[in-house]
Amino acid sequence: MSVRASMFFHVLKRGLLGRGNRPLIAFIALSVAATMITAMLSLYYGLENKLNRDFRSYGANITIAAPDGQQLPSDAITRARSTLGPDAIIAPFAFAIAHTSNDRNDQAVVVAGTDLEQVRRLNAWWSISKWPNADDEALAGARAESHLQLNQAIFNLHFAGHALQLKDAGTLRTGSDEENRVYVPLTTFERWTGIGPSLLEISAPGSHEQITTTVSQLQASFPGMQVRPVRQLLQAQGGVVSRMRSVMLASTLLIALTVALCVFSTLTSSVLERRRDFAVMKAIGSSQVTVNALFAGEALTIALCAGVVGYVVGSAVAVWISQANFHAVVTPQLSVLPLVILADVVLALVAATVPLARLQRIEPAGILKGE
Amino acid sequence: MFFRLLYQSFRRQQRRKLLSGIAVTLGVAVATAMIAVGVDVGDKINRELRAYGANIVVYPEDAALQVRIGDQEVKPASVGTHLKESELPRIKGIFWGHNILAFAPFLETQVQGPSGSIRVLGTYFDKQLRFGTEGFSTGVKQLYPWWKVQGTWPSDTGRDVLIGSQLASRVGKHIGEAIELSDSSARIAGILNTGGTEDNAVIAPLPLVQQWAHAPDAVDKIYVSALTKPEDAFARRDPDRMITADRDRWYCSPYANSIAYQLREVFPGARAEQIRQAAQNEGTVLSHISGMMLLIAVASLIAAALAVSAAMATTILERRQEVGLMKSLGATTSTIASLFVCEATLLALGAGILGFVLGDLIAQRIGQAVFHSGVSITPVLLPMVMLLALLVTIGGSAAAIRRALKLDPVLVLRGNA
Repeated sequence: MSVRASMFFHVLKRGLLGRGNRPLIAFIALSVAATMITAMLSLYYGLENKLNRDFRSYGANITIAAPDGQQLPSDAITRARSTLGPDAIIAPFAFAIAHTSNDRNDQAVVVAGTDLEQVRRLNAWWSISKWPNADDEALAGARAESHLQLNQAIFNLHFAGHALQLKDAGTLRTGSDEENRVYVPLTTFERWTGIGPSLLEISAPGSHEQITTTVSQLQASFPGMQVRPVRQLLQAQGGVVSRMRSVMLASTLLIALTVALCVFSTLTSSVLERRRDFAVMKAIGSSQVTVNALFAGEALTIALCAGVVGYVVGSAVAVWISQANFHAVVTPQLSVLPLVILADVVLALVAATVPLARLQRIEPAGILKGE
Repeated sequence: MFFRLLYQSFRRQQRRKLLSGIAVTLGVAVATAMIAVGVDVGDKINRELRAYGANIVVYPEDAALQVRIGDQEVKPASVGTHLKESELPRIKGIFWGHNILAFAPFLETQVQGPSGSIRVLGTYFDKQLRFGTEGFSTGVKQLYPWWKVQGTWPSDTGRDVLIGSQLASRVGKHIGEAIELSDSSARIAGILNTGGTEDNAVIAPLPLVQQWAHAPDAVDKIYVSALTKPEDAFARRDPDRMITADRDRWYCSPYANSIAYQLREVFPGARAEQIRQAAQNEGTVLSHISGMMLLIAVASLIAAALAVSAAMATTILERRQEVGLMKSLGATTSTIASLFVCEATLLALGAGILGFVLGDLIAQRIGQAVFHSGVSITPVLLPMVMLLALLVTIGGSAAAIRRALKLDPVLVLRGNA
């Protein structure tokens, strides 16, 4: 290393470490900027996932139905699972119309056979007094229950001459058509009626666009079946997610602008306050380029350190916010790091350039005299 | 003398004042915009979520049990009792009538079509109604924005109908053709695609279906879309077992439950219930978004406070020589401090108002760009923001003023400090 270069690094080091709290203030300002930008960007990237997940709680976003009067192929669930992956919830439904054994009041009711475990995950919003857990326990819709006068008792249903004895485990309240039905475990249902599933309700993960792609994949693997997106859900989801994306982008920009302003005024003044150093260096013969490189090197070093620290703190803030608000862990976005460091470096360099340009126009003698 | 100093300070140091002024203006503008957007975003997203359709349903207390699998109705639904169509405008008369965004009645029947029995739904498409002196329009067009119609929407009075896409291809009918329904002819105005069971039905104006079903003035169900507040523990309580004060509070909160309760009051003999799928999940999404925006508003407040205090501190520290000169001429610490505080106050007030106006504009731009509607800004925000601007500006200057005052005037004036 030449003497020149080692002198340069010596001055740079002294400038950073041996000069009281001035580099510290610049460091703090840049760290705050990096923290804010990291937190906002992480939230911006994370929000979409969170909202998409929220919309999954509405229930199925895709349905696969067999044509009228037919059943789905027996390997439908495995076939759907291989297209959808392990994240999707797939609930099969088989339907039959049964009659109550009571002849005087021979009431017809729709009985649905389903995988109650999957349905429980699919429709978490169902209000249920108690989930059935035995094979002969049924879930009765509130209106079916009151029309059939079930009252939590043992009751019989008849289908094509076969009787089935069921226990009324719980009452289902949804406010819509489900309340007219009685739900029983699929295995029990198949044994009783011999009818297999004619409908798959699927909750597929992902955004509006991803779900649309999934629908076309499913259409290819289920020829002859009606594969449909639940359009009302997807429309609401697409609308809300894209609106929130824009709002977050606007907020991120506004906050970044404000923080940049803060950094800018702090750094500018800290360079201006060092005009005497600047003058001394020039007076003892250093070139303009060296002085500029020295100030830039200082700004760069501080910006890099502050960028890393800000990234860590900002990620922590983002994790905390999503923990508090969404009750879910957001993994820190590594892709944000280069962006944050770049923003910090650009900010620091711009903030140093403006005052340096002003200082260059002044004679060193004037500054040293205190003018 | 004090006021002359103050005046000259603004007159002579225009660059510095401009810089801190810009900082305060921008800080206040960002804070105002974010608070305004944050407060309003819940309402905006609530409306966006209403694209999901109805969240409350009203039907007769003793309606028959519905026995249907997919599109196949086993028993005609017309056994039960009906609600009266003429009573429908009362929906707008409930306490939270203004929160009712749309509603549509439905009357269902089976009629003899070209190839067997066809399911027919009678409803409003875009019906003009009056309640008291107030006119409004409502129907499935507003209630179900995801219904896609090829062709045109029929009118609410004629003999034009919509035909579901699956039914249309099954019976081989196209837009503009006539279809024989119940021994009379109707014209197909459009083909409907909903992705639901309506794809296999005919949707007709309500009076036409009432005529076919021989049920004048009758409707089976009313679907209502209302702006509601996310449900909490209080919302789930039974209003009939509450003390009066609690009951009033419950009644006057726009919960899905209390709106359903009010609907029951105007339709005697009817049940009104929240459609849990819409009502429950909406609450989750809404509370997450509102919580998020609140945190972002707080973050922007912190950023704005930092920016303003950094700018103030910088400009004051640049004026150490001035402080030194004043001190050496005999000014007391309190005089100098009050001079700086007065300057900061004037700056905060002037730039604060400017910032508030700018923030308004930013909020409106965001509202227009993202939600296609303006953002409502409560007047309470102005004093709040001004107070905040004052606090931050003076607070941000305080540390710098203290530091400037502590310095020895001799050293400062020599340029050694």
